Amino acid sequence: MPHIIDAPVDVELSADGDPRAFIWNRFEHTVIGQPQAVFKRTRWWENEGIPTRIDTELWRLDASRGGEEQHRYDLRRGTDGSWTLAMDWG
Amino acid sequence: MTSTPGSATTGSATTGSATTGSATAGTTFAHLHVASAYSTHYGVTLPEALAEQAAAQGASFLAITDRDGLYGAVKHVRACVSAGISPGLGADLAVHDEEFRALGRVVVLAHGHTDGRGYAALCRAVSAAHSGSAGQRSALTPASTGPSISRARLADLAGLASLTVLLGPDSDVGLAVGRRDNTDAATRLTHWQRALPEGAVVLEIVCHLAESGTVGSVTPATRMLALAENAGLPAVLSNAVRYGTPDEAVTADLADAARFLLPLAEIDTPQTNGQAWLKPAGAMRQVARMVVDAGLHEGGALERLLRDTERLADRCSLDPVSDIGLGRPRMPEARIIGVTGDPVTELWRRARSGIADLYSASGSRAVEAAHAQLAHEMKTVEHLGFASYFLTVSRVADIIRGMGIRIQARGSGVGSVLNYALRTSSVEPIANGLLWERFLSPERQTLPDIDIDVESARRHDIYREVFRAFGSDRVSLMSMTNAYRGRGAVRDAGLALGLPDEQINVIAKQMWRFNARDFRRALEEKPELEALAAEVRESQQLDLLVDLTARLDRLPRHISVHPCGVILSDASLLDRTPVQASGMGLPMSQYDKHDMDPMGLIKLDILGVRMQSAMAHATREHHRLTGESIDLDRVPLDDAKTFELIRSTRTLGIFQIESPGQMELVGKLQPEVFNDLTVEISLFRPGPMKNNMPLKYLQARHGEVSPDYIHPRFEPILRETNGVVIFHEQVMRLFDELTGCGLGKADVFRRHLGKPEQLAQIGEYLREKALARGFSEKVIDQIWTVLAGFGSFGFAKAHGAAFALPTYQSAWLKTHHPAAFLAGLLTHDPGMWPKDLIVAEARVLGVPVLPLDVQSSALDYRVEDLADGSQGIRLALPELVGSTETERARIARHQPFSSLQDFRDRVHPRRRTFEALARVGALDTFIGYDRARRHELLAHIQSLRGTAVVIRADQLAFEVELPVPRYSGDRAGAITSLELRGRTQTDLELQGLNLAVSTHQMTRFHSLFKELGVTPASELGNLPGGTEVLLAGVRRATNTPPMRGGRRVVFISLDDGTGPVSNVVFFHDAQERVGGQVFQTNYMLVRGRTRRSGARGVSVTGENLWNLFDVARQVKERHSLERAAAEEAANAGAYAAELNAQPLILTPAQLSSSSPGGTLHHLNAAQSA
Repeated sequence: MPHIIDAPVDVELSADGDPRAFIWNRFEHTVIGQPQAVFKRTRWWENEGIPTRIDTELWRLDASRGGEEQHRYDLRRGTDGSWTLAMDWG
Repeated sequence: MTSTPGSATTGSATTGSATTGSATAGTTFAHLHVASAYSTHYGVTLPEALAEQAAAQGASFLAITDRDGLYGAVKHVRACVSAGISPGLGADLAVHDEEFRALGRVVVLAHGHTDGRGYAALCRAVSAAHSGSAGQRSALTPASTGPSISRARLADLAGLASLTVLLGPDSDVGLAVGRRDNTDAATRLTHWQRALPEGAVVLEIVCHLAESGTVGSVTPATRMLALAENAGLPAVLSNAVRYGTPDEAVTADLADAARFLLPLAEIDTPQTNGQAWLKPAGAMRQVARMVVDAGLHEGGALERLLRDTERLADRCSLDPVSDIGLGRPRMPEARIIGVTGDPVTELWRRARSGIADLYSASGSRAVEAAHAQLAHEMKTVEHLGFASYFLTVSRVADIIRGMGIRIQARGSGVGSVLNYALRTSSVEPIANGLLWERFLSPERQTLPDIDIDVESARRHDIYREVFRAFGSDRVSLMSMTNAYRGRGAVRDAGLALGLPDEQINVIAKQMWRFNARDFRRALEEKPELEALAAEVRESQQLDLLVDLTARLDRLPRHISVHPCGVILSDASLLDRTPVQASGMGLPMSQYDKHDMDPMGLIKLDILGVRMQSAMAHATREHHRLTGESIDLDRVPLDDAKTFELIRSTRTLGIFQIESPGQMELVGKLQPEVFNDLTVEISLFRPGPMKNNMPLKYLQARHGEVSPDYIHPRFEPILRETNGVVIFHEQVMRLFDELTGCGLGKADVFRRHLGKPEQLAQIGEYLREKALARGFSEKVIDQIWTVLAGFGSFGFAKAHGAAFALPTYQSAWLKTHHPAAFLAGLLTHDPGMWPKDLIVAEARVLGVPVLPLDVQSSALDYRVEDLADGSQGIRLALPELVGSTETERARIARHQPFSSLQDFRDRVHPRRRTFEALARVGALDTFIGYDRARRHELLAHIQSLRGTAVVIRADQLAFEVELPVPRYSGDRAGAITSLELRGRTQTDLELQGLNLAVSTHQMTRFHSLFKELGVTPASELGNLPGGTEVLLAGVRRATNTPPMRGGRRVVFISLDDGTGPVSNVVFFHDAQERVGGQVFQTNYMLVRGRTRRSGARGVSVTGENLWNLFDVARQVKERHSLERAAAEEAANAGAYAAELNAQPLILTPAQLSSSSPGGTLHHLNAAQSA
């Protein structure tokens, strides 16, 4: 069952710049395989001021906590570089 | 640069991976598909910024592939050279097949190190895309009407391994992949492989990490990669770049809105996200990994993709010199310019014979001096190998003169005896103190620049003749890039936001006199923008508009033909510049003036000058009436009456000195000789004005201070300007005198004076040399202060002298042949003033402007000899609003007409034209010029009935009477036309001609002016300084000249019909009081004080202004109120006196309020106070 998490997380990046692991609820979740980034455009002209980017950055990846079964997650990176765990797709 | 936090993280992570990366991928990535800002309404980053960014990211290569052309190519190559990376060039082109079916867009890249073969093929491909018949294509594929090249032609050009064609997501192959139609994609790819030479086709993988299922997502990219693998073709990775950094994606959105002419919210296919930026190697490698990972690919697919990208970049690295020919001038072949032997020998021969012709009348010393100077100039010409250049320019000048067209050289080339002897220039340089070195010297190796002014009306004829004479493979027009400025920027930003047109129009009208990038600051500072600033504070959308407008400022907006640049070269021209059709049909290079010198292209500025046409018209009219020929170029330059006219400041219509500011300066300067005109024109420039040079010069000229030459050795240099350094030539001579560096080097120093970082070094050199040459520390300090302060300001005297000649010639014509001259002005409209002011000037000069008359009005303004021996000017037919060119041509051809019927039969005017002619009085000839009968005439014409017919030019007609009925007895006066009733001839003329010739349009206000005590413009000059006056009239000009101190000053020229104009100055405090009305009100009443300037000049310092119509209405209402109250008849004098005496403390808001009652209340209140 997918559910919305929307919690700030710490993300560890690989040397290539891809997320390698994230820490959620004190547990490290290790990324498995090649994560996919998705940039989705915004209707920025409906908001105040000129944005620094016109899209939001979302990373879809598979990860597992310890030896548990892997889940699919969406991680969102804000323009300030902070990470949010958006979705747990199950 | 990669400035966002997200990308910064990515960047640093990549740096960390450098040690782990494989040997092939490394840390660099070569971008092969990049649109610069010269892809107008598409790319948004300038080539210079892209090249710098690429170099900073560690790239060793960058290609620019602008859409439909090489618009940014030369700038890109130069930017790469200075950034130390290899340039690649290509173009993003639409392609069609043999049946004109669209094949999408591909990127065509030139191969390097082919001795220019690749670059030449690319130029030809771009030209071919623009030369095809768009109409033919659009019939079959309505969607593509832009430039497109046929695949067959592209295949030809790609031969000999000259080009690579990238098939990316916008190609027909990529579009099929996007539709998930893999079979179609494979078939289409096969067609490409069959059509193009082996090795020319490469697949381009683009992935913008968009959402799954949308354009730019990873899925089509990975399928495209699989297609390449299946076909055994190489694939390269690109990012289809549209901007340098992610934050510029907003600007690209604006570009899309402008391209689609739609608000952002309504665009069907906006850019999928903001990822089309110039990503660094790490980020591109990340994309590559995701693409490869998303599909099933052979082992090593990732490394192969990146390696093939690098390989293609290597192949497309261009050598700026051997491939593009950067910095190598190419002149037309000798035989083309009519030379059989050695060009240098030929140049010598022609120059010597020119000197013999032109100088012999001035005595042997002048001849000797000219020969000596020629030898000096020829040394440089031979050294630089420019002989063919001079022969080419003089050949063009000969062609123009051979067509009987007036020609006048301008610019620093005027300083050359060689140009004078070849008759390229008509200003004698030695006596005028002009310098060759300002034009050309071994130290100044850029291609020289000679500008030629010609009659504007003949410019296109000249272009066609030059194309014919040199051959169309050697000649092209030059283009210019039009950049966004305030109004365009705010319109396109407003469009993107979906603001209503009316709102944008209101804002756009206020976007002037400041840069769009300073919009926000202007809102804070400029009093006339206060209302807009308040709106912006209230509206989030308007606030955004301000910032978006600033984003667009200065971005290239569209390309158009340069107003005067013609490129002349040898037969290789079309291998070195892509061309497209210009508006006038002749081919136009995609390169602009900044690209000329680097590309070794000779550019000749053949500028159409309306004044030259006006003067030519005047001399033709004089010849037509008298049979006498005037050779303006041989008119003596010391005519006393001409200078008298100039000194009177009645300079309206005279070249260069007719603006209010110039009138004032002429009045102060009181020119007596030709050189004074050169000085005057040179002083009236932004640099000298800002540096207060006019005042310093005038004080010395009029003996208020004695000229300060600083040192006797400077006196010969500075005597002509009374010790004030005005000309570039003087700066050069001073440098030479101080250091002995020679004039060529001196010109280098002069140009460097504008660069603050170089000043100290120049100063040091000058001090050292000058001390050795016997100048004291004190003198050096003094002269260095002058030179360093001079900066790059001032003016080449060569320019000033070249301008002064037509100034003098037009003044001479105005003095001696006013009717012919004014007819020329009215026909060609060369100046800043509207026609009805020229008509007013004619009236003042005693030259009546005669009404429109079908018997005598021609297609241009003609001079007519009048019965009393004087001359008048007949209004021209084109002034009639709404008439067609063919109707006018028929009138001119069949004149004169024996009767109304004759006119109708031979001209066959449309009903509208027929009635308009009658209304305005042009048919009065058929009623015996009895204006009272015009009602009958118009009613008669309106009563005519008939069916519409198409008529031929020479149709025969029956001579049948068509008399205008003449009514008498009781019915006399019974026929009235509603269109004429209550209208004066002035009203009718303004309606039908936009020009009142019978009387001045302000005449209707004259009784009001008298009542208010308004001072007529003609009497202003009789008042002492400091007199309080009321002025009124219609606005004729608004100027905000550059001012010392930087505070804006607004000049308004008012025309009240009595004299030329009265000039009112509004200083900052008055502008605050008056607000936006200073720019917006056109009919105005002004209160101010006179200010005398020099012997003749007088202007008025404005204190307040009112809308004249409001005032008229208030006076009228007041009159009726007073009548109603049965008081004594209004005492106009008292009213005016009160209006003068009472401080009218009206705020602009109150005055501009639409409620007349409110304003009236204030006027009354002021009165009763």
